[in-house]
Amino acid sequence: MDAEAPRAAVSWENGTLAPVDHLRSDRADSPTPGLVEGTEPGAGQKSAMFVRAQSFEDLTAESEELIQREAQLDKPIESAEELEVLVGEKSIEEQHNNDVASENRTKEEDVSSEAWRSHRKHVFVLSEAGKPIYSRYGTEEALSSTMGVMMALVSFVEAEKNIIRSIHADGCKVVFLAKSPLVLVGVSRTCQSDKELLRELQYIYYQIVSLLTLTQLNHIFQHKQNYDLRRLLAGSEYLTDNLLHRLDRDPGLLLSAVTCLPLPSSTRDVVSSSLQAAKAKNLVFSILLAGDRLVTLVRKKDQFLHHIDLNLVFNLVGSSSSFREGEGWTPICLPKFNTAGFFHAHISYLEPASDLCLILVSTDREDFFNMSDCKQRFLERLNKRSAYQSLKEALKCPSYSVEQVGIPELRHFLYKSKSSGLYTSPAYPVVYQTDEEQERLMGLYQDLHSRLHHPTRPLRSLYRCTESENLMAWVTSGFELYLCFSPLGTKALAVSAVTKLLKWIRKEEDRLFILSPLTY
Amino acid sequence: MSAIRVDAKVVMLGKESVGKTSLVERYVHHRFLVGPYQNTIGAAFVAKPIQVGEKVITLGIWDTAGSERYEAMSRIYYRGARAAIVCYDLTDSSSFQRARFWVKELQNCEEHCKIYLCGTKNDLVSGDRSLRQIDYHDAQDFAEEIGAQHFETSSKTGNNVDELFQKVAEDYNSSAFEYMTEETSVDLGQKKDSYFYSCCHNN
Ligand SMILES: Nc1nc2c(ncn2[C@@H]2O[C@H](COP(=O)(O)OP(=O)(O)O)[C@@H](O)[C@H]2O)c(=O)[nH]1
Ligand SMILES: [Mg+2]
Repeated sequence: MDAEAPRAAVSWENGTLAPVDHLRSDRADSPTPGLVEGTEPGAGQKSAMFVRAQSFEDLTAESEELIQREAQLDKPIESAEELEVLVGEKSIEEQHNNDVASENRTKEEDVSSEAWRSHRKHVFVLSEAGKPIYSRYGTEEALSSTMGVMMALVSFVEAEKNIIRSIHADGCKVVFLAKSPLVLVGVSRTCQSDKELLRELQYIYYQIVSLLTLTQLNHIFQHKQNYDLRRLLAGSEYLTDNLLHRLDRDPGLLLSAVTCLPLPSSTRDVVSSSLQAAKAKNLVFSILLAGDRLVTLVRKKDQFLHHIDLNLVFNLVGSSSSFREGEGWTPICLPKFNTAGFFHAHISYLEPASDLCLILVSTDREDFFNMSDCKQRFLERLNKRSAYQSLKEALKCPSYSVEQVGIPELRHFLYKSKSSGLYTSPAYPVVYQTDEEQERLMGLYQDLHSRLHHPTRPLRSLYRCTESENLMAWVTSGFELYLCFSPLGTKALAVSAVTKLLKWIRKEEDRLFILSPLTY
Repeated sequence: MSAIRVDAKVVMLGKESVGKTSLVERYVHHRFLVGPYQNTIGAAFVAKPIQVGEKVITLGIWDTAGSERYEAMSRIYYRGARAAIVCYDLTDSSSFQRARFWVKELQNCEEHCKIYLCGTKNDLVSGDRSLRQIDYHDAQDFAEEIGAQHFETSSKTGNNVDELFQKVAEDYNSSAFEYMTEETSVDLGQKKDSYFYSCCHNN
């Protein structure tokens, strides 16, 4: 493996929330201008759709200053016996035989079983009083003593005016994220870095906030420290389960980006302008999805959606069939926009069996019929201009094959345009057909990603050979690129592939990206 | 495509998983979906035209989630409703307690809303009578006490479901006749003076 050191501090570090308008005069034919942000293939022509938060740095920025301190905590900490409860072999059984009511265990998975312990990644959410709120596997009741120990660990270290970040032991990482009034704990056997694990915990935190708002969370725990939050989260566990599943599989969550339905730009423009025309006083965002791909997003002028919020919306819509019944109307907090209050989302499919789902986000909870009316107006326009037909046509092939790119030995890639917050990626080729293979590939990408974004030693590019594939990653201020080649590939081939791929993406960009986002 | 025209607002209330969504599914789409339980997020709205004598009346049905999380919001769903179908699960006595809660809530906040007390999952108790936790007569007594209609339904078999909604529409029709002889329906395309617009802004 070889790597180059970064040249300069990267631009997102002064994480402003206002997007920068990219005053680009020309859109050069050569792909190499992509080195500069705003000129890379896929960059929007006018302004960004999203809050300017290009990278997952944004997700972990708050904890960044603590990374240094973490170094000290990396070494084994004193309370070794307590640790064993989490990762040890025998002690966990004893622990539970003593103080867990046995009827709870039958409900789901036996938390003292080998199977439970061998899950690759556990996630626990607890209150600061140590009350269980969520567990990915097993019931929270059965795990209350384990969670109690976790909380004891957190407070033990906090008492010394330190903050516990992570514990490494026995092939297992335990990562802590304290987001008052919640504490999130990840226990992982994967080779993901602490930072990646923290990023995932952040997502779970935002997922919970999106259901309740932070204001409400704080209010509840100020009034009753040992409140059982599961009462309020009842019925939403599957949203968190599903988000965790996505975190293992969805490149969008890794790249802090979303992907688009490939669509002729003429069609996309009609869809966007039809949405733009169907506006209402309190309407803030109009989002059209095809499965988990974005068709278009129109926003109120000066209001920006954050990719995390958008990914939470994707998760909400994708996890539930409940919106298929009629028109959904639900409060939703978009935590990156504002953790204090609810928006109200009108969610409905364009047709009962269709993949096209329209989400209209309003500030007014009384706005249901206004939003319903906006949807009707949108549909009328779409039909009138016969764009609906071509949109449905495009739905038949929501992806493309890597062969179309015409680069030998290239199996798969992820390309993210930083200024637009959009990424593109071909369908998985035959070698990655099974879920396990796809997750393994994602694991490789995650590994590359965490090396590129290493908190103290970030890299600009890297080439890596494994037994079953050769991988390359390259990051500039304009884009992030991850390529997967067959083991027959060579480094020279990979380097030349990059130029060719960037050219191809440039050629296809108006189909693969949203180049002219609209506002109302 | 024209805007939906809704005559009467109907709200489904009751504890989570008593079968509100299944009831609406059965009535509107004539089907019963099996598979893992999918709880309703927020609320779902569906408009359904129904024949009453010579007339067609469109019910605007609000299917609510029933979870505590949305309790503070629940008023926007039942405000201005002409009918509330308060559901409880015949095999779950705690759901009847919850039904009492909703009845109280409606009596306090929506006095013009007619209440229909609905025991769900009738098929389960007719298959195995020991599963029944709410006696028919107890529920009937409660219904009479609060001046409500009482139904027992099964969304699985469809038993009594159409009858329930038919009754809702007929009652609306005769009461609408009592109140005013003018056209009472609302064109939601004209938001400004619509029934919903006004009823949503007088809290
Ligand atoms: N056997 C039987 N099961 C039912 C009936 N109605 C609903 N269910 C089941 O009860 C569960 C909850 O139903 P749902 O309609 O989603 O409840 P909601 O939360 O009140 O909307 C689902 O698993 C349904 O399949 C019924 O009439 N008979
Ligand atoms: Mg429901």
